[in-house]
Amino acid sequence: MDKWITAVLYGFSSGAILFLVSLALSIGYGLMRVVNMEAMLYYSFGAYATYVVVSQTGSFILGAIVAMAIGALLGLLVETQLLRRLYHRKMMFTMVATYSTFLVGIGIIQMVWGLQPKPVSSPTTAIITILGANIPLYRLLVIATAIVAYILIQTMLNKTIIGRAIQAGVENRDNVQALGININKIFTGTFVVASAFAGLGGALNAPLIMVGPYMGFDMLLLAFITVIVGGLGSIKGTALSAILIGQVISVGGTIWGPLAYVAPFIAMFIVILVKPTGLMGVKSAAY
Amino acid sequence: MSKVKNLQVRANTIAPHRRGLSLVFPFLFVGLLIIARFLVPNKMTFLVEVATFSIYAMGNNILMGYMGYISFGQPFYLSSGAYTAALYLAYVGRNPLIAIALAIVTGLIIGGVFGTIFMRLKSSYFTLINAALCAMGLFMFQRLLIDVTRGDDGLWYRSRMLATPLLDIRFPKNFFFFVMAVLLVVLLLYRQLHRSALGNVFRTIQSNEEKIQFLGYNPFKIKVAGFTLATVMASFAGSLFAINFGFVNPNMGENSRAIEVVVATLLGGVGSLYGPLFGTLGFLGIKDIVSNFVSRWEFVVGIVTMLILFRFNEGIWGFFLNAGAWLKVRIDRGASAKKAR
Repeated sequence: MDKWITAVLYGFSSGAILFLVSLALSIGYGLMRVVNMEAMLYYSFGAYATYVVVSQTGSFILGAIVAMAIGALLGLLVETQLLRRLYHRKMMFTMVATYSTFLVGIGIIQMVWGLQPKPVSSPTTAIITILGANIPLYRLLVIATAIVAYILIQTMLNKTIIGRAIQAGVENRDNVQALGININKIFTGTFVVASAFAGLGGALNAPLIMVGPYMGFDMLLLAFITVIVGGLGSIKGTALSAILIGQVISVGGTIWGPLAYVAPFIAMFIVILVKPTGLMGVKSAAY
Repeated sequence: MSKVKNLQVRANTIAPHRRGLSLVFPFLFVGLLIIARFLVPNKMTFLVEVATFSIYAMGNNILMGYMGYISFGQPFYLSSGAYTAALYLAYVGRNPLIAIALAIVTGLIIGGVFGTIFMRLKSSYFTLINAALCAMGLFMFQRLLIDVTRGDDGLWYRSRMLATPLLDIRFPKNFFFFVMAVLLVVLLLYRQLHRSALGNVFRTIQSNEEKIQFLGYNPFKIKVAGFTLATVMASFAGSLFAINFGFVNPNMGENSRAIEVVVATLLGGVGSLYGPLFGTLGFLGIKDIVSNFVSRWEFVVGIVTMLILFRFNEGIWGFFLNAGAWLKVRIDRGASAKKAR
């Protein structure tokens, strides 16, 4: 019994990281209609920043803050220098361009840190017992962080003027600009926030896995699955499918080892076959 | 984008006197490769790779250049062809030609099955779901079927292959001529496809899908046919790779290699007839030179792709066509100037 409780809680924690990481993809698609293949660079660089800070100073919180800053900085750089040039291009063009940016980023990581995976020590090794199951406190903290992030993003989108402007911008760009709102600035700001969350996801995931140059690739596929299952462009859908995929990985892996790798794909195939726009996707938005 | 369209229009309305050149071209290219093999004997493996990879790239060109569907999962189709041939040769039979035939059948089945699923999706989803399938395939060859495929160690079967009639393709020397002959046949067929009604319908998928319905075609069936064709060509190329190397390992189906064929197609000129050939030649040439200096070369591939995308949009074949058009205008002008005098 306690095996299953552990599996479910682990599933929530990997779902939490998936959510943080997929946000940049989801927002990039929902707002700018750009399938942003290099979004996982923020995640990888965030993890490496945490590795550097933790091995230098020993403070994980400082590492996470630096990771967020690095993610935001990269997001700003990519949005203003690359994505701006891609908004009116064809989907194919943007995909290849962002994918090659991703490869360049991986190349830079290899040049700086080498191919060897790096370990990051966990900030807390405390273990909490829930209903007879032993859960590391760190995993619970990860879940809590993701919940806070979700609430922040939803409040920002639904309760503030800027959030309303963003939502209006998704509907009709030109009308929002006619109201005297600089839509480009708003898009950049949103994108930077999403990239910062991806960096945070990298920092949070660093103690759970080994930090290696190809960590972005593995996460890229999972993040894409999350976004596809949730429906491209819907934040609520992304959160829902992140939880679903996290559970599928964790519980599936507990049932039979190899299922942890295959189950997310099977889940995606099923969802795509039943509802091609994803769980929460709107038909008109999925082009 | 409009440039690409112009290119396609130009390809369709090619002047009658240049059609002859376009027919001669496959023979010319293959002939040049054979000459190159005797001029630089130690580059033979490279030339075989160019020939095989260009079949792979031509398949991708149908999907990406004609129909506008870009797939990041082509390595999966390549490696499933390679593994079909390898598994047949390692466990069941010994005839390499049957292995190739089986790989083509596998490509047909995979293309038919996944085509009917994937082609319902919009193009952005299509790209991503292919990448996901590729990851699953890699996992399958690497871990799930480890008892049969021996995982990362790879599958070796060179000693099991039997001699084939006419040309014994077990020897690299003979295999070179075999691949050249195959490339020639594929090129001629490909040229036929490019000019046929099917080729035109493929291109119309990208520019105006509704029009196809008005013309009485079923766009979904056309898309599945195009996808299947690309898959068959990829797995055919995979089986050629498998027989050439005498062993396969899961490395071939890695996700990070998905960009290779895309870059080769882009470099040659998207949607052009002989673009994939030049793209492959250019891409593998760059790879050959760069791999002398760095072992992992994602960085270089990325930079090259960006340069092509933003600065060299029409690719090598487009550059040739432009240069030809420029030259023709010059000559015409010269002729008319003479007349005026």
